[in-house]
Amino acid sequence: MRSHKVIEIRNLTSSTYVIRMEKNDFTFKTGQYITLGFSGSIDRREYSIYSSENDNFLEVLIKEVENGLVSKKLKRCKPGDYLDVDGPFGHFSLEESEIGRKKFLFIATGTGISPIHSFVETHPEMDYQVLHGVRIEEEAYEKDSYPNGKYILCTSREKSGDYHGRVTDYLMKNPIPSDTVCYLCGNCHMIYEAYDILEKQGISLGPIHTEVYF
Amino acid sequence: MKYHLVSLGCQMNASDGERVRSVIENMGYQWTDNEEEANLIGILACSVRQKAIDKVYSKIHKWNLWKNKRNLITFVSGCILPSDLDKFLKLFDIIFQMKDLPKLPEMIQQYGITTPVGLQQGFDSQNENISEFWHVKPSYTSEFEAFVPIQNGCDKFCSFCAVPYTRGREVSRPSDEIVTEVQSLVECGFKSITLLGQNVNSYGLDKKGDEIDFPELLRRVGNLGNQLNKEFWIYFTSPHPRDMTDEVIEVIAQYKCLAKQIHLPIQSGDDKVLIHMNRKHGMEKYRQIVHTIKRLIPEATLFTDIIVGFTGESDDQFENTRKAMNEFKYNMAYIAMYSPRPGALSHRWFDDVSLDIKKERHHILTQDLKIHSKNYNSSMVGKTYRVLVKGQAKHDGYLAGLTEGRINVRFLSQDENLIGQFVDVKITSAADFSVEGEMITIKESVA
Ligand SMILES: Cc1cc2nc3c(=O)[nH]c(=O)nc-3n(C[C@H](O)[C@H](O)[C@H](O)COP(=O)(O)OP(=O)(O)OC[C@H]3O[C@@H](n4cnc5c(N)ncnc54)[C@H](O)[C@@H]3O)c2cc1C
Repeated sequence: MRSHKVIEIRNLTSSTYVIRMEKNDFTFKTGQYITLGFSGSIDRREYSIYSSENDNFLEVLIKEVENGLVSKKLKRCKPGDYLDVDGPFGHFSLEESEIGRKKFLFIATGTGISPIHSFVETHPEMDYQVLHGVRIEEEAYEKDSYPNGKYILCTSREKSGDYHGRVTDYLMKNPIPSDTVCYLCGNCHMIYEAYDILEKQGISLGPIHTEVYF
Repeated sequence: MKYHLVSLGCQMNASDGERVRSVIENMGYQWTDNEEEANLIGILACSVRQKAIDKVYSKIHKWNLWKNKRNLITFVSGCILPSDLDKFLKLFDIIFQMKDLPKLPEMIQQYGITTPVGLQQGFDSQNENISEFWHVKPSYTSEFEAFVPIQNGCDKFCSFCAVPYTRGREVSRPSDEIVTEVQSLVECGFKSITLLGQNVNSYGLDKKGDEIDFPELLRRVGNLGNQLNKEFWIYFTSPHPRDMTDEVIEVIAQYKCLAKQIHLPIQSGDDKVLIHMNRKHGMEKYRQIVHTIKRLIPEATLFTDIIVGFTGESDDQFENTRKAMNEFKYNMAYIAMYSPRPGALSHRWFDDVSLDIKKERHHILTQDLKIHSKNYNSSMVGKTYRVLVKGQAKHDGYLAGLTEGRINVRFLSQDENLIGQFVDVKITSAADFSVEGEMITIKESVA
């Protein structure tokens, strides 16, 4: 476990923020997560790394959860504070041999976009499409990070996105080629539904990678 | 001066305990079964269940009361959650990670001083320096059964498990050391040796080409069996289906000393629950492994672990687990009702399957298991099996042992000299989870 100094907090909406920390000598594989908490505190939670492998800082994208303990506390952290970082953990990562060879579909709900942001920032040359499911448009966190046409916003509560409806509705209407490598991240209900749809479209669990947040 | 050690939880702690005992005995302490007369008491904690954590607290509170009356040093190691570290430091004199075991004598000499420093440095989840721990020669608790650690930690991040966070990352022990330890155990007459790790079939992978992989390790141990001219069985636990290759199964089939018993945890028979558990494999992969086992080693027995009532498990999803039970016809399944484990990812997910439903699912699955286990056991009747005698059976006048496939056998005999020996037993009757038979001869193991 190491202490990392907070450099800045970027508020993206009234509830969602990015914490940028000093990277020190921390290394990770894009897609992995860390556990994070205030220095010395026993309350810690898992957060996917939002920044790229190549950045000289470490970022996480966090949504303050209603009645949530840690996401609420972390929102109050200030530049100069120290946070304890443990990890990196997890296997939600890209296969080196597939980058540049395969077509990727990244499907996320809410802050599940975080590791995907890290993927595309680390490997901008990849052939990919991002499908991001949110309730309202303002949750399209830093969508300008994705080049034109690579990012499709599905909004379920308003018509402002590229598609009005859930990511799973979009997937059903827009089948994908069966040789696509899929990464699904976020809430497990979306992942279950998307999994069924993808399976019907001929994609099996092997090339479907998942990271369940809750 | 006397010491006492409590090992909670899994075989890994039991195995680590053998090394801890050895270090303490080398300092001149003598073992006592009686905590109350010990001057040094340690506990190898387990964080898998809240019950085990509660036990650590209840023990240390009791021991600390004894301190008013006599000199007593207490220590804790094993699987400790970061959230318990702070509290343990206040309660125990010494807290250390297993990799620091060689330094335990030093800590005992100046207890209370090294500890806070250790805590300040934090627990090392990367698990560096574990090699020093492996150099400690264990003080085995049995004369014929032993566990040989081949790796420490786990990199799999199953959402129901805290091991990656408590024991740190997977680190493989050098193969030469493993083979040497197995060889010396066999030469000393050990008959059942279990290669132990949280995730044995990813053995060697952390060394990225600088170490042999698991099939090769098994081959080296298998060759040892061919060379040593002794009878013994090598087991391993536990493997993860994700890293299980056909090659592992081929090697087991090839070598006599590699026991024809495979423990392959399935956890759930439903692809979506497997996703939620972050197992990183689906039923198709699992099915393919079992088919290979049945094809290459038809005589192998198959054991598994199952969790029922995992967060969100629906009736249909549970039915898929039942289907898996009926498809794979396990000889034994360790079925657990899901309970959120502190420190695991799923701990924060709503535990929405009621205890009654979990109990019902546990019961249904156990009944299914009984049918398959009994069918297999019945097929043993009339045949003769090699049995390693483990001790007295619960029934007076009987001895109990295990076949190579780890089927429980009992037979009429009061000859305690047979404990730790191989005997031939002709099976005469079968029960749900055991068989009974008659001993035929006492065949000394070769050599
Ligand atoms: C591998 C992994 C990676 C994660 N990465 C991120 C990330 O990059 N960004 C992020 O914001 N969160 C992420 N999470 C969720 C995060 O770990 C915490 O669960 C979340 O911040 C809530 O913590 P809390 O202490 O505030 O709430 P708690 O007091 O722990 O509990 C609040 C409840 O909210 C639920 N919950 C958790 N996350 C959400 C959510 N996003 N929306 C609605 N309900 C939720 C939990 O299931 C729980 O029931 C990740 C979780 C996992 C398992």
